[in-house]
Amino acid sequence: MSQDHNKDQKLDGQPDPSRRKFLNTAAFAGLAGAGLSVGLSACKQEQAPAPAAAPAAHPAAEAAEVGKYEVAPGQLDTYYSFSSGGHSGNVRIYGLPSGRELKAIPVFNTDCLVGWGITNESKAILGTKPDGSLKYTTGDTHHVHPSYKDGTYDGKYLFVNDKIHGRIARVRLDTMECDKITELPNMQGYHGTFPDKRDPVDPAINYTTRVFCGAEFSIPLPNNGSNMDKVDQYRSLFTCVDSESMQVRWQVLIDGNCDLVATSYDGKIAATNQYNTEMGVHYPETMAAERDACLFFNVARIEEAVKAGKVTYIGDSKIPVVDGRLASNADPKTALTCYVPIPKNPHGVNISPDGKYYACSGKLSPTASVIAHELVLKWFDGDLKEPRDAVVAEPEIGLGPLHTGFDNKGNAYTTLFLDSQIVKWNVEAAIKAYQGDKNVTVVVDRIDVHYQPGHGFTSMGETKEADGKFFISDNKFSKDRFLPVGPLHAETAQMIDISGDKMKLVADHSVLSEPHDSIVIRRDIIKTRQIYNMDEFPNAVKDFKDSGVFRDGKKVTIKLTSQAPAYSLGEFKVKKGDEVTIILTNHDKVEDLTHGFAIPKYDINFIVNPQETKSVTFKADKPGVYWCYCTHFCHALHLEMRSRLMVEA
Amino acid sequence: MNYLAALRNTLLSVVLSSTAALALANTYEAKLPDEINTAPELCKYAPCTEVLPGATSFSERKGQPPYVEAYAEEGGKKKLVGYVMLSTDITDTPAYSGKPVITLIGMDTGGRFVGVKILKHSEPILLLGIPESSLVRFNQQYLNKFVGDNIEIGQSRPEENIIGLDAISGATVTVIAQNQVMMTSGTSVARQVGILKPTIREQAKFVDSGIKPDWASLVKEGAVKRIVVTPEQVGLPRGGEPFIDLWFGYLNQPDIGRAVLGDGPYNSLMSGLKEGEHALFVIRSGGAQSFKGSGFVRGGIYDRVQVRQGADSFTFRDTDAFNLYGVAAPGAPAFNESAIFIVRSKAFSAAYPWKFVFLGNRVDRATGARSFANFDTEYWLPAQYLQGGRPEVVKPDAPWVRVWKTRAVEIALFAALLIAVATVYAFRDKLTRRATHKNKWPVNVFKYGAWIISIGFVGFGMLAQPSITQVLTWFHALLFQWTWELFLSDPFIFLFWIFIIVTVFVWGRGLFCGWLCPFGSLSELLYKVGGAVGLKRFQFQLPRRWHNRLKWVKYGVFFGLLAVSFFSMGLAEKLAEVEPFKTTFLVGLFNRSWPYTLFAAGLLGLSIFTERPFCKYLCPLGASLAMPSTFRWFGLKRKQECSSCKACAVGCGSQAIDENGRIDHRECLHCLDCMVLYTDDHACPPLAQERKRRTKAGLALTPIGADGYFIPIQPVPARADAAAMKNSIKN
Repeated sequence: MSQDHNKDQKLDGQPDPSRRKFLNTAAFAGLAGAGLSVGLSACKQEQAPAPAAAPAAHPAAEAAEVGKYEVAPGQLDTYYSFSSGGHSGNVRIYGLPSGRELKAIPVFNTDCLVGWGITNESKAILGTKPDGSLKYTTGDTHHVHPSYKDGTYDGKYLFVNDKIHGRIARVRLDTMECDKITELPNMQGYHGTFPDKRDPVDPAINYTTRVFCGAEFSIPLPNNGSNMDKVDQYRSLFTCVDSESMQVRWQVLIDGNCDLVATSYDGKIAATNQYNTEMGVHYPETMAAERDACLFFNVARIEEAVKAGKVTYIGDSKIPVVDGRLASNADPKTALTCYVPIPKNPHGVNISPDGKYYACSGKLSPTASVIAHELVLKWFDGDLKEPRDAVVAEPEIGLGPLHTGFDNKGNAYTTLFLDSQIVKWNVEAAIKAYQGDKNVTVVVDRIDVHYQPGHGFTSMGETKEADGKFFISDNKFSKDRFLPVGPLHAETAQMIDISGDKMKLVADHSVLSEPHDSIVIRRDIIKTRQIYNMDEFPNAVKDFKDSGVFRDGKKVTIKLTSQAPAYSLGEFKVKKGDEVTIILTNHDKVEDLTHGFAIPKYDINFIVNPQETKSVTFKADKPGVYWCYCTHFCHALHLEMRSRLMVEA
Repeated sequence: MNYLAALRNTLLSVVLSSTAALALANTYEAKLPDEINTAPELCKYAPCTEVLPGATSFSERKGQPPYVEAYAEEGGKKKLVGYVMLSTDITDTPAYSGKPVITLIGMDTGGRFVGVKILKHSEPILLLGIPESSLVRFNQQYLNKFVGDNIEIGQSRPEENIIGLDAISGATVTVIAQNQVMMTSGTSVARQVGILKPTIREQAKFVDSGIKPDWASLVKEGAVKRIVVTPEQVGLPRGGEPFIDLWFGYLNQPDIGRAVLGDGPYNSLMSGLKEGEHALFVIRSGGAQSFKGSGFVRGGIYDRVQVRQGADSFTFRDTDAFNLYGVAAPGAPAFNESAIFIVRSKAFSAAYPWKFVFLGNRVDRATGARSFANFDTEYWLPAQYLQGGRPEVVKPDAPWVRVWKTRAVEIALFAALLIAVATVYAFRDKLTRRATHKNKWPVNVFKYGAWIISIGFVGFGMLAQPSITQVLTWFHALLFQWTWELFLSDPFIFLFWIFIIVTVFVWGRGLFCGWLCPFGSLSELLYKVGGAVGLKRFQFQLPRRWHNRLKWVKYGVFFGLLAVSFFSMGLAEKLAEVEPFKTTFLVGLFNRSWPYTLFAAGLLGLSIFTERPFCKYLCPLGASLAMPSTFRWFGLKRKQECSSCKACAVGCGSQAIDENGRIDHRECLHCLDCMVLYTDDHACPPLAQERKRRTKAGLALTPIGADGYFIPIQPVPARADAAAMKNSIKN
């Protein structure tokens, strides 16, 4: 059937369809194996005629075009792109259109550049075992989403998930540093996450106060080893976290699983696509049903239920859990959840900038399902007969659709994993086609990307200020697109100009493995701090004169300040066996004048930005002289900036 | 020609002694270490202990503008005893030379001045005219005075709380500038360290009309202003491209802010500002120079831009600068450097005018030396953007305005004198007709009157003796940079020069030189007095042939000075001591070292015996005026017989009438003696002959006409008649 699918694309004389045919088939098989064939059999008859991907333009013309997107020396990028680092555990910041990497923010990983996971302050955020070591040193960030105000980004926070350990982290966008991490109880495979855009009830709260988190993997509840074989009792929870306190507010027990998450612009609905409504444990089981679902949560009703005490508690968790399972929510008028059936193992749910439609990508179905927000609300009001009636369009767009971004002209851009393409389709046209109008063109353009796109994002596309300028295709395979660097390749983040009728591929940006989300934000929204304020750090060494060695039994505190090119103490003595805490305050006020502090053999390095205070604690178990030195270039006398740690035997 | 040798010797000694003076005047153009302007350890390079007695150690430069803290050891502990500041760290107020007097100032913790030391000055007057010690004495007047007091040059006026300082005669501009330097430096440091309360200006209340003007309107209204610096202004070769072309404007005003930034960025910017914080934007639309530079990278301070309001200057730290991502106003020029700067001070108010300053360097193309060159544009929010419009602002007068105001009466008298002399001279015909060879008083009463006033009031009183140095300065100003302030700062000289320029082209230089030049007047007065007291027999004139040679010397002196001035203005100023003016009037014969006194006294002494020796042979000023006198409009009258009759030439004190009876207007000093003769039928030989003829013939003596002849009774063939007359004279 994938061959049929491609035959339809021959319309505009694509040079060599057979090459694509072969690739598609191969990749297809690679992805899903034989089990897929059943799921895809339904699609071929409905295949709408669609233009094939544009053949490459004349190379010279293309090069001239590309020059437009270069950022000349002294000029600044127009967008920030915030990318998750995948199993690097961090968040990256790129400038667009240049694709320059500006920063990697350590979140769930450790990072000896800044001392993340080394300083006491970062350890307190990351969480430690009783012995003071880090509780986890791995993390897998997938989805980064900033906080909202009035339907667009407010530049305050960025929320990011850790799929491995089920943690949510918050990055302050003024310092671009992680300031809170919360471990979510009773869930595994925390994948999708999305902040709400306003309160469902209080109109005054037109900004983010909640973050929703979906559990992809169903587990025994409680997961204490007692019910491991009762697979039918495995469940997933959908979690709501308070965006300010980062405390978990409530959880919803559901049928099926949670994959990606979206929220409505009116604050009333949170949504998650479900690829495992079968609640299968092994992957063939997860593909058993012809349709999975997109699950909608009625936020206001859930909070009323929590308030009314219609909750349970799982294990020793203190988090109230409401029942959102299908059977318990049969009456729409009281239902907390609405399960809208959509084809086969969908991936990604994205809301259009006008707030009217959710687009769920089919993944194993070559379709996108368009669900009207209005109709979901109508179902909750009891005025829509079946949840499935909320689906207003289901166009065929190509093979392996995963994620959808929107422009400001009513078009959707969906990544096609198997086709290695981005498909541009018109939402209103798709709705008309679904209603039987045969004269509309749903798919308006296609473009090849290299290769196998996962997530795809339009500039400002997740806000009401979608501007239709760029689409970033985060591809999972780069293969031959960059200089080879061994078996592990960089990934390609390809930039596509979507401002015209035809999509134009304008840049291949390399990114380290492995970004999932890339949120593209207008530069004027982000307002960062230039330096820290010393008063924010309770342990700051505010005066050079306060420097010194302070002993309290076996515990020794070294108070240090730095000002280029010197630390306030030239040396400091401790005894073997002491528990040493070094507090370092950077007294330099000049922007960008950061100092480092490394201690040889004690495995310590961290930095202090201007006016910042950091501390480390370690056991002085090795006698001798240890030259502590500044690792972050600061001054012409940077190399001279050192101090001796002297550990007496 | 003994006295000529003497003259030469004197001249030589002047040149030698001025070289000696150069060696002695140790702060004139003193070479200061480069580090003094930039090094954090100011006191390593500057004699801080001399201006802060008792201090033993000093901090590094701190604050903005910078100063250092001075400490004394007291019981083994460091104690803050005061502050030392380098004037050029704080203000670049230029003195008379156009360059700042670099002053090191000490102030105790109570805000009292405890030491002032000039490190370097470029004031020519202090080099040769007025001893440097007088500026030192002037500065000593500040000691123990409180920085917060109103200290001004002139009389103390207790009722206005003004403490007066005695000026230095002849160096008014220098001391006014110096006072400004002292008070600006002192108050700016006193404010920073808390001795003086900072100025708090009432904050502006904005009109929020919701109108979004486009760029052209913003520029037209003055809501956006421009600074263009050309390469030649910073000493670089002229070029088509500006050195830098900046636009700037005030952003807190909502209409302007929204128009420039757009709504979103404006709201976002304002939400980050606290009360008393002000945002302005700067874009560079042309030029290769950066207004950011790189000083802020390590030093944290933007060292190329500044905002000034009144006495306050506001510099920007690196954290006071934000990215300006774009200008929303339609029609804005393309730009390639931009910033939003934040003024964080309640001392700043947008209700009042302020200046955006681009701090540049000017490179002297001859020497490669760099000097500060600041370029600013005033900005004042247009009235429609301020509730109630612009407040009334009393701006302190510029130093030159203050000079004009404080000396208004003298200036008026002086102007009256100039007008009176010009008027008298314009009616010279009437006077010369009344005068006769025997009785020249109808002319002389005015001329001698002018002399006496010139010597007493203009010369010794107002010290308004024009000098060749001014001509040199003008030449330079015309060629390089013309600043009216420089010329307006001495009102008498300014008016005098207007008079000189006008009269030189109308009548020739003689009116100034012969009637109003204080030294010339003194010189000729001495000659006249000498003659009157019986020294007439010792008085002499140089023989014609010597005169005709030596009169060119002054031109040589002039061009010599001009040439030297292009090489070194300072040296030219020193060599301009060939003029005895400073010694005679500005400083006084008895206040100078002997070579100067000897030179001036020698010239004046010589003047008793020969008329105006300096004016005739040496005066470079006279030479410079003589040349344009060639192009005067009205000359003195001559008649045909003059070409052979030598009567006037014999009596011409300035030896300006040649063998052929022609008057050299370059040499003529407008004594008008020849004009008296011109109409004197007893003294002018042709007239006397005609008179006699007519008397003999019993003909009527008609009045003498404008052509210098008796008005004919009947038409006579003029030529034959004239020839006959000529013959009769010869016989």
